[in-house]
This record gives sequence, C-alpha cells and structure tokens, in this order.
Amino acid sequence: MNPKSNPFSAAGSGLIRGGLSAYGEKIFGSGSEYVQSNISKCFSDPQYYFQVNDHYVRNKLKIVLLPFLNRVSEIFLVGIRKRIKVFLKTKIITEPVGGRLSYEPPINDINAPDLYIPCMSFATYLVLAGISLGLSGKFTPEALNWKFVTGMIGWFSEVMLLKVSILSLGGGEAPLLDMVAYAGYTFTGMCVAVLGKITLGYTYYLIILWTCLCMGIFFIKTMNRTLLSEVRSYDSSKHHYLLLCTALTQFPLMFCLSNTSGT
Amino acid sequence: MTKEFGVPPVVFPSGGNPTVAAGGNTQQRLVPIAPFQPPRPSNSGIPFMSFEVGSAAATTSGPIGGGTGPIGGVANFDDEEPLLDELGIHPDQIWKKTKSILNPFRANPTFHKDSDLSGPIFLYLSFCLFQLLAGKIQFGVILGWIVVSSIFLYVVFNMLAGRHGNLDLHTCTSVIGYCLLPVVILSAISLFVPQNGVLRPGIAGVFVIWATRACTNLMVAVADGGEEHRGLIAYACFLIYTLFSLLVVF
Repeated sequence: MNPKSNPFSAAGSGLIRGGLSAYGEKIFGSGSEYVQSNISKCFSDPQYYFQVNDHYVRNKLKIVLLPFLNRVSEIFLVGIRKRIKVFLKTKIITEPVGGRLSYEPPINDINAPDLYIPCMSFATYLVLAGISLGLSGKFTPEALNWKFVTGMIGWFSEVMLLKVSILSLGGGEAPLLDMVAYAGYTFTGMCVAVLGKITLGYTYYLIILWTCLCMGIFFIKTMNRTLLSEVRSYDSSKHHYLLLCTALTQFPLMFCLSNTSGT
Repeated sequence: MTKEFGVPPVVFPSGGNPTVAAGGNTQQRLVPIAPFQPPRPSNSGIPFMSFEVGSAAATTSGPIGGGTGPIGGVANFDDEEPLLDELGIHPDQIWKKTKSILNPFRANPTFHKDSDLSGPIFLYLSFCLFQLLAGKIQFGVILGWIVVSSIFLYVVFNMLAGRHGNLDLHTCTSVIGYCLLPVVILSAISLFVPQNGVLRPGIAGVFVIWATRACTNLMVAVADGGEEHRGLIAYACFLIYTLFSLLVVF
C-alpha cells in the first residue's frame, strides 16, 4: 500500500463524508506508524508477494495442481545462473541489496511464493462451498460464515505446523509470510475437490484422494528445496520424516474442510 | 361628526415598518415592544421572569434579519442550506451514476471520480427490500459482506498496484456499492423465477458477469495502477459478486 496515500482524504463536503474521514484519520493516522514499526518486524514486506501477473498465475497453478510435470518456464530466464537455479527449483537470489540477500519477486521467478493465489483460492473455496451447500439445500449465510472461520483456523494451524517443523529442524530464518503462502496453496487443491463434488457427485472421493496426493507432492518438493535450504544443519533422516508428516497432514485437513455435508 | 380615533401605529420589532401611520411617527422612536411581551406586575411580590426580548431588540440599531425575533429561527429558515445538501446527498448525481452502470458494455467513469456513499446505501436498502419480499431477512448479512468485500478488494488492488496504487477505501466502497445495481435487479427478477431449475443460476450468471465488467472497468478507470492487472482484479470482483448472487439464488 502506498504509505503516502491518506485513505480518507475528503474532497467533498457533507456530514457523512466529513465524519467518516475524521474518524478514519484517527484510526489510520496513528495506525500506520504502529504498523510500519511493529509489523515489519514480524512480517517481511507484503508488497513483494503481490507482484504477480497473469502469466505467473497460470504457470504457478499448473505447478501446484500438477506438480509431477517437470516443465520449466523459459520465458522468465535471463542468464545462465538463473537457468541453473530454475532447473533445481530453488529461489533465484538477486544481488545483495543493502547487505541483505533478497529473492526475486514472483513476477521474475516461478518458484517464489506469492500471496495472491492463496488469497484468491481461499475466496474461491468459500464461493464453491457456498454453491455446494446451496445445491444440497443447506445454504444459510451463517453456514458460509462458519466455513470462513473454519477455513481460517485450518490455514492458521497449517502455518503453525510449518513453523514448528522448521524450528524443530533448528534454524528458521524463513519469513513468516512465505509459510503463510505455502500453507495457502492447499486451498487450490481443495477448490478442485469441491468443484468435483459439485459436478460429479460420487467421484468426489477419488478426486479428493488425487488432490491430496498432488498437494503432498508439491509440498514436499517446495519445502525440500526452498525453505530447508535456509537450514544450516543437515540431519537427513529427521528431515525426511518431518516432511512426510507435514505432507500426510494434508489429508485429514483437506477432508475436514471440504466436507460440506457436515455443519 | 366622526370621531377621530387615535390609533397608534403597529410596530414590528423585526424589520422596517411597512405601513407608517400618518400621525404615529413619533411613536416609532419608542422602544419597539414585542407583540407578546409578558405583563410585568409593578408592585407584586411574586418574582416574575420576563423575557428580555424587547430590550434586546431595542439595543440593536435597526432591524436585523430577525435574529433576535421572538419566534427565533423563522427568518433564519431562508438562510439555511437545504437538508439534502447539508447531508451531502445529491440525488441527481446518484441518478447519473446509477444510470452509467446500466450500460453493460461501456463504463463511463467520469461521474465516479468523486465517490459518495449515499447511492450505495440506497442500493443496499433496495437489495434488502427485495430479499425481504422473498422471505429472507438478511440486512446485517448483506451489510457485513459489503464491508468485508470492500476491504478485501481495497487490499488486493493496492497490493497489486504497488507503488502507484492510490485507491482509497471510500472510493472502493462507493464503486462496489454502485455495481451492486445488477444484483439488485437480479433479486427483483428472481422473485418471479421458479425456485428449482436451471434458469435461476443461469440468469444469476448473466447479472454477475455484468456487475463484474462494470466494477472492473470503473476500478481501473478511477484509480491508477490497475491496468496491467485487469484480469486479476476482474477475478476478485467476480468472486465478490458471485457471493452476493448466492444470497439471491439459494
């Protein structure tokens, strides 16, 4: 967000607008300093995660939903070093800026995580869950709000799981928003599952097994290369067990959340 | 043999005396007395509070436009702003903005540059009214969803637009509110469409696409930084209006 833009700069007159702008000034005026000082300690810059474009979104969806295809997108590649990194599916590192290594934004690197796809797939999951509730005659706005809450809880618990597993491997410099992004990618799989439930009925169980498998593979691949490259100590077997565990937890999570015939 | 009655001229404290009686000039120099000056008991022990209206009018030289008149703001009434202007509601602007959404193929963003919330409130109330006619009492739900979805679109648009993004929450809510017009029409039409069947979702789809087109065109025209992310913003708007149409269809 543009830090210079005042969200409530009132150009017009009128009681309502004036009141709203005054109230908003109070909230956002003092809030933005607080945000800039405190939140930047917890989160890395969220702007980075939204630098996406159409092409990135399409290719990333292909990678997420069909992770066993080893296609590499040549269009983003410039230079030999980048080619090697893309081949190994690690994140591309740019030159150090101000003494700190920074990764290429998602628009240049297909392996970088982004927050646009997780947010949109969460919203799509809500819409599809609403449709499926409606088709089975159980649609009420309260039920949809409950789905929203359970979805957020599920997302949060996955992020906690990832954070705990990274910390237990000893050494977690991975930014929190990265983990939020990776946890959010499972919602794309869930969307496909709910779509399958709407359109094809009984094949829903087959589809959900398939998407769980896909998401598990995607998880293992990305985590293996990206997040754990930050970890210094290399303890191979503990490593793999933990990865397997996190992949297996996809199954009950997805089953739980996409079960729209319950409450 | 007619008797001359010495009729004293009637003097109004506010404003000049339009009719000047011939023989009463000297009396105009007297203290103008308010028409209903309460009687002052000269030698009564009861304390009586009298209004100082008359003396106040006397101290001021000449008639002031009724500022101290006993009937308070009567003459003030002409100087007041009209109520709608004071509240910031401009019906002709609202009508122009609403009409600009009616054309699904071309958005006219000139009216939407200065945002206002009274049109969206009116559309929200009519949406709730049509839902009420369908038997669903969803006032709070719709208001809550409008708030949440406008915050969502505000965050997504500003994040996508990066450094150039200058959408503010007021404009965002205003645009989303005005583009609810197709959904309002959908809820009016769906009162007459049978409940089960494929016609309901089909019609809903048409109106949702109309709303999405209008919203995306307006968003990209009203705030900077949205042109290269048109498809991404369109998808976000599509999700928002699908949510509202779910309320109507099911």
